[in-house]
Amino acid sequence: MVNMKNLRVILRYSVNSFQQTLSNLPVFFIFLFSKIVRYALFGIFIFTLFSQVSPAAGFTGIQMLMFYLIFNLIDTTSQLLYREVYRFRPLVVSGGFDLVLTKPFPPLLRVLLGGPDLMDLGMLLIIISLLVYISGTFIHPSLDQTLIFFLLFINSLALATAFHIFVLGIGIITLSVDHLVMIYRDLTSLVRIPVDFFTDSLRFLLTFIIPVGIMFTFPAKALMGLLSWPLVVLSLLISTAVLSLSFFFWRYSLRFYQSASS
Amino acid sequence: MKKYLTVFSLSFQNEFTYRVNFILWRVRNVLRVLMTFFLWHSVFSSNKIAFGYTGQQMFAYVFLVLIITSFVMSAPSNDNIGGEIGGGNLNNFLVKPIGYLKYWLTRDWASKLLNLLFAGVEITLLWFLLRPAIAFTSSIPQLLVGLLLCLMASLIYFVVTKLAISVSFWAPENTWGLMFVILVFMETLAGGIFPLDVLSAPVNNLLLLTPFPYLIYYPIAVLVGKLSLSHSFFIFTLSVLQLIFYSLILKFVWKKGLKNYGAYGG
Repeated sequence: MVNMKNLRVILRYSVNSFQQTLSNLPVFFIFLFSKIVRYALFGIFIFTLFSQVSPAAGFTGIQMLMFYLIFNLIDTTSQLLYREVYRFRPLVVSGGFDLVLTKPFPPLLRVLLGGPDLMDLGMLLIIISLLVYISGTFIHPSLDQTLIFFLLFINSLALATAFHIFVLGIGIITLSVDHLVMIYRDLTSLVRIPVDFFTDSLRFLLTFIIPVGIMFTFPAKALMGLLSWPLVVLSLLISTAVLSLSFFFWRYSLRFYQSASS
Repeated sequence: MKKYLTVFSLSFQNEFTYRVNFILWRVRNVLRVLMTFFLWHSVFSSNKIAFGYTGQQMFAYVFLVLIITSFVMSAPSNDNIGGEIGGGNLNNFLVKPIGYLKYWLTRDWASKLLNLLFAGVEITLLWFLLRPAIAFTSSIPQLLVGLLLCLMASLIYFVVTKLAISVSFWAPENTWGLMFVILVFMETLAGGIFPLDVLSAPVNNLLLLTPFPYLIYYPIAVLVGKLSLSHSFFIFTLSVLQLIFYSLILKFVWKKGLKNYGAYGG
């Protein structure tokens, strides 16, 4: 599906989207400032809380900060890439999706990657800088831990892709759902803290049934040397299965598109 | 008054039009509370007191966040007023014998009532599922002050958000910018994620000058018995002053905005 021609088209979409964002610089800076404030306030709270009390899950303030930063790294990267998903419903409701389907470009790529968000790129640079500084100063990960982290980071992006494809598919089938992508966001927000904090049943649910735990907690644990090999392998298997299922679901959901209002 | 009652009744019925959306919106609210609950649950499983709160007080705080947020921050006006100014649809209201802001305040109250009813059911279900020990104030005067603070909070929220959205009069193409900043500050500094006494005393004193802590933190702090009765009255007085202050600014800005209003697209 992804070849050089498609990559060039995606690059063109990205350049267009970035130019659009830069055409209104005051708004760009307002949103960037707000996002920095939002992330910083919660980060400071988590760090303060776990530096002053002894939680049952046994994580230190620095470790909690690492979990939170890696959560934001994965969340912001997927938002940067898949911002177009947030604009999908009006396309289906208006029948404008016809124009996407009739073009010689894979429609799934268009609705997933058709409008990356420059604002998230600014935020991503800040998060990566903080992550490099904190892990270099306090965590000192080995080469193995770093490599597994990158592997699981890509694995998390695969899962994020799958979740966004499910949202798109459900969006086609049930036109009236506005909040679906936001439900996904709130569900992922649950694991701003590691899944270890939840009860056994909820932890199982968030790790193996709706694998947001694999998506956010596992890469952070891997970087800090807290994840065993069997769980690394299991997480790769689960994300492969979920991604395959999402492609199947996308093809299934397209049958329900009725081109209404077009 | 009768026309606003009619608006209230119609808005309440209108809330049932998109039932799936409404239920998903409520699911989102519950998910947000769950993260906070389990975070504090972990803290209190190995600490009897944290930041001056007992576990019972903190779990009562977390549960009340769901109720107070539903009451204070349910406001369809936030999603509509900017668009109506920017798109020129405000014209339809200016020629009618109805106060535009009063109209939206009434619609907000209809939404608050429905959200409050659902929040009550959700809290009951969550309590049966999680079974946390919770503690509220046993003082009737303090309970009354707490309820009055909730009322003040919803009015302050309305006035401050409408003030932020008034920017649409001058920048109709950008109705959401300032509002987004305000909502981000509210998200954390109102006390929805953690009680504000986790922060240092100077920061707390500084926050007293802003409208944020009166929205969630202080109503709940009074209801869970964290503040003395005299302190509760002091906070109530401050919240009344906040409401008056921002109402006067809103009145001034709205008047200036209407003079600048070009009815573009209307």
